[in-house]
Amino acid sequence: MKQKLAEIEQTATEVARTLSSEAELQQEKARFLGRKGELTAIMKGMGRLSAEERPQVGALANQVKERIEALFGRRQEELRRQELDRRLSTEKIDVTLPGRRSRMGSKHPITKITEEIIDIFASLGFGVAEGPEVEKDFYNFEALNIPKDHPARDMQDTFYISDEVVLRTHTSPVQIRTMLQQPPPVRVIAPGTVYRRDSDLTHSPMFHQVEGFLVDRDITFGDLKGILTTFVDECFGKGTGVRFRPSFFPFTEPSAEVDIACVICGGSGCRVCKQSGWLEILGSGMIDPEVFKAVGYDPQVYSGFAFGMGLERIAMLKYGVNDLRLFFENDLRFLQQF
Amino acid sequence: MKVTLNWLREYVDFDFSAEELAHRLTMTGLEVDAMEKLGEGLDSVIVARLADVRPHPDADRLTVCTVETGRDTCQVVCGATNHKTGDLVALARVGTVLPGDFKIKKSKIRGQESQGMLCSASELGLAEEAAGILILPAGLPLGKPFFEASGLKDVLFELGLTPNRPDCLSAVGVAREVAAMSGQPLQLPDSGIKESDHEAGSRSSVVIEDADLCPRYAARLIEGVTIGPSPDWLVRRVEAVGMRSINNVVDVTNFVMMELGHPLHAFDFNRLREQRIVVRRAEQGEQFTTLDGQIRQLQADDLMICDGAGPVALAGIMGGLNSEVEEKTADILLESAYFNPTAIRRTSKRLGLHTESSHRFERGADVDMVPMALDRAAALIAELADGHVARGMLDEYPRTIPRRVIGLSVARCSQLLGIEIALAEVRELLGSIGLTGEVDNGDPGQLQITVPNYRPDLEREVDLIEEVARLYGYDQIPASMPSSRLACQRLPRHLALEQAVRDLMIGDGFAEVINYSFVAAEALDKLGLAADDPRRAHVPILNPLSEDQAVMRTTLVPGLLETAAGNLAYRNEDLALFELRPVFLPQTGEELPREALRLVALMSGRRDPEGWAQVSEACDFFDLKGCVEDLLNMLRVTEVRWQASTSDSFYHPGKSASLFAGETLLGTLGELHPGLNQVFDLSRRVILCDLDLEAAFRLTGEFPGFRPLSRFPDIARDSALLVEDEIPFRRVLDVLQRMQLKDLEDIVLFDVYRGEGVPAGKKSLAIRARYRSLERTLTDEMIQKQHDKLIKILEKELGAVLR
Repeated sequence: MKQKLAEIEQTATEVARTLSSEAELQQEKARFLGRKGELTAIMKGMGRLSAEERPQVGALANQVKERIEALFGRRQEELRRQELDRRLSTEKIDVTLPGRRSRMGSKHPITKITEEIIDIFASLGFGVAEGPEVEKDFYNFEALNIPKDHPARDMQDTFYISDEVVLRTHTSPVQIRTMLQQPPPVRVIAPGTVYRRDSDLTHSPMFHQVEGFLVDRDITFGDLKGILTTFVDECFGKGTGVRFRPSFFPFTEPSAEVDIACVICGGSGCRVCKQSGWLEILGSGMIDPEVFKAVGYDPQVYSGFAFGMGLERIAMLKYGVNDLRLFFENDLRFLQQF
Repeated sequence: MKVTLNWLREYVDFDFSAEELAHRLTMTGLEVDAMEKLGEGLDSVIVARLADVRPHPDADRLTVCTVETGRDTCQVVCGATNHKTGDLVALARVGTVLPGDFKIKKSKIRGQESQGMLCSASELGLAEEAAGILILPAGLPLGKPFFEASGLKDVLFELGLTPNRPDCLSAVGVAREVAAMSGQPLQLPDSGIKESDHEAGSRSSVVIEDADLCPRYAARLIEGVTIGPSPDWLVRRVEAVGMRSINNVVDVTNFVMMELGHPLHAFDFNRLREQRIVVRRAEQGEQFTTLDGQIRQLQADDLMICDGAGPVALAGIMGGLNSEVEEKTADILLESAYFNPTAIRRTSKRLGLHTESSHRFERGADVDMVPMALDRAAALIAELADGHVARGMLDEYPRTIPRRVIGLSVARCSQLLGIEIALAEVRELLGSIGLTGEVDNGDPGQLQITVPNYRPDLEREVDLIEEVARLYGYDQIPASMPSSRLACQRLPRHLALEQAVRDLMIGDGFAEVINYSFVAAEALDKLGLAADDPRRAHVPILNPLSEDQAVMRTTLVPGLLETAAGNLAYRNEDLALFELRPVFLPQTGEELPREALRLVALMSGRRDPEGWAQVSEACDFFDLKGCVEDLLNMLRVTEVRWQASTSDSFYHPGKSASLFAGETLLGTLGELHPGLNQVFDLSRRVILCDLDLEAAFRLTGEFPGFRPLSRFPDIARDSALLVEDEIPFRRVLDVLQRMQLKDLEDIVLFDVYRGEGVPAGKKSLAIRARYRSLERTLTDEMIQKQHDKLIKILEKELGAVLR
């Protein structure tokens, strides 16, 4: 019987080696280990053995069974691996075919730049305020120290709705509305649409601005430089050259125009910067005491600065857009780039 | 404002290069807009002599010139008529590149060889326009570069001045700033006036009747002048700064205005009736003909210069035709006055008459410059026109304008600028531009600054602080960060919602557009809105740029349709666009319109981008409806109702809907009426929607709170129901909602079918109901009962038949 077991094991080992498919393996495995299999038959015939032999042969038969099972198990693994290898070597796709796409939307570049600027100033502690686009002359001009008959009104060609109502020429009226509503300290930016009666290659009758202002005790011109330099670093990249030069706005004193080193030529002079190496990007200044008086702030106690920038210009410089009109033509080929 | 380097050097001795000067001017607040190097790269334009000028054999208007250059002779064909044999001219040799990238080449003109060009002043960038070529003064060396030989190598600066700096509307004014930055003294020109023994006062007089508008009026009489062309240096200078040379008298008044900043006017003295000057307000309705030949209607607030009988000049703006200097003029009455800036501005603006003179007076001239400018010009006229200045200046100055004295606290100055600056330095900085300061008797930290009248912009302490900052150098002030009190400032709710809506639309594949807020008044006609549609009431602009931009828009729809048409024209054929902007709605009893935020969106063309692996179906109503549903879900606007058809006639009547939340109309959605495709030049089917975002934002709900998840398996039941085609799906949903079936998780309509196998007039709705319980595993039997009930009710209420 022991010999018989050894023979079975021997045969099984040889058979296993010749197996070439999993189906065949199952069949052969049954031949040895199945209910009607050879090994099973031996196990069944154990009853005929003596009480002394039985445990001995039983243990041996179990060992043989385990070994054959392991043998077929290993072979099965081998065959599966071979089968997988075969499949993997034949299944193939052209990975360079384009993927299945869904439609991509796009944010208008003006929205994109507005959100970025809001983000920069929000991180500096500025809140966001808004005001109407059709605005009273009082907020747009008078309260900003631009009386009627003042030459400064020539700086901004105005669309009039009536004698007392205009399309706002800048976002500065939001300054007035905000300061009339809340006492200092204020730290606010106001993005919005503005209008000027001017239309050519470099002027659009409708465009966008962001106004910003900060009022508290002891705010200095140095603080204005600090905040705006930080803005330029964040918006155009750290180390972008920036300079402040004297200018004039009726609602700030001292006033400063802020230039950045030309983003096209890096400052060496080109057509975009008119050979100067610098590009004007925003107007700013310390809020004029007359403005504080108009909103009921005490100029002896508080000081502050304000600034305003044209978003089309910032977007043109930052994204390299070479034609202002593109912003309002709404050509998908343009819009989808942003 | 234009000024040249050489001109500035006449008043201050500095050695900045052109580039450095431009930089310093800009950094001191006088922005250099443009810099032009006159004669740069033009050394091949040389002085030459016309040895012979003869008519072109084959062209009436051309001449053929033999030109001597000192070294050789060449032949040049010239189209001018003002030259003759023997003249010295400026010859641009072959190879020269003239301003405007104009290259001179060897050529043949009507068969005659031409080796160069004889230049006019404008071709050399010396004047805006020119009649004929330059004829040079005799004595210039032949063959020498023209610019060098004529002393014309110069640099022209164009300054973009801010309106607060009238003091810099002159060469001397700019020179004052250059003097301050270079530390060199400013040298004012000396008139060197000589008077004859004729007494001016015995021949004429000045009376100021309205001293509020004319605080000072001075005049001089120059007798026996000969009107003629100006000498070259004067022509050059006047033309270099952009003015036209007229004659020796007018050119002098212009030159002195450009030099000293003070406008002057020359009258033909003998044309003044009664030979006297009266300064008074106009009479209402009075008419007056200005120098340009225009008849002006005057108002009682206009200030006029009159003679013994009536107006002879519009004060400070333009002279009159009736007293203009002419060729035969023999005696000149020269005016130098100071006028009220507001009065000049008001008249100039009303008449639409802006002149170099009004530009200066309305910004504020220098009253103290009145006598100096008068003497300087009188002396020059006498010299250049061979006249004699009569003795004495007629100078009426009834309202003295004192120099302002302003207190300046040095501590305040340091505090506002964020620098430590000493009193002595402040005093020195201000002194460099002529602002003198004395230490206040009572307060050693306070300066009393006397402001010269050429700086009318300096009125308050803060104005002086700006001057200190400017002269100190903005770049020298260190940047700092403000130490301000903290406050929580989140984005206002409606802005946050607006951003969320925008992000959702972009996520759904839409491109954002921005159109102008103003449109043609007829834009709504194109849309076919009813005559009584509230959107027809708009806010008109009083002074629009064009009829196409005449009113503020009350709907975003036409703009988006035009955007779509524009894109189709560029063959951008698959469109998904949206615009999120306010419309402007007039409000009765309110000065300002209501600015109501709306969202319009449009789709056309393929649903998905074209591709090898995608189905490229045309999008329809339900694509856009899906986006709107996403949007309302995101905003948590619940209980919305889609109702067939809208009151807007621009939609397809059978493929459009109104969207309600309760009684509130949230908007409309539908296919564009095919009739409008042609009106808007749209070659394809277009789906659009127009939503009232403010209403949506009002109805926006809060997050309702977390719903627990079931851990048990679901059971789904698919059923196909035949119903009348007329029954909207909405009614199926209504029935289901009313039933409130237990454990019904959701219902999906996964097919709507008409056609083979379905009787005419019916449709088959394929519905999948999914059941799941929070408490237990459902069995088929439990579900079957529910589902049977569901079908039964649909059969009863809608006449549905299970297929």
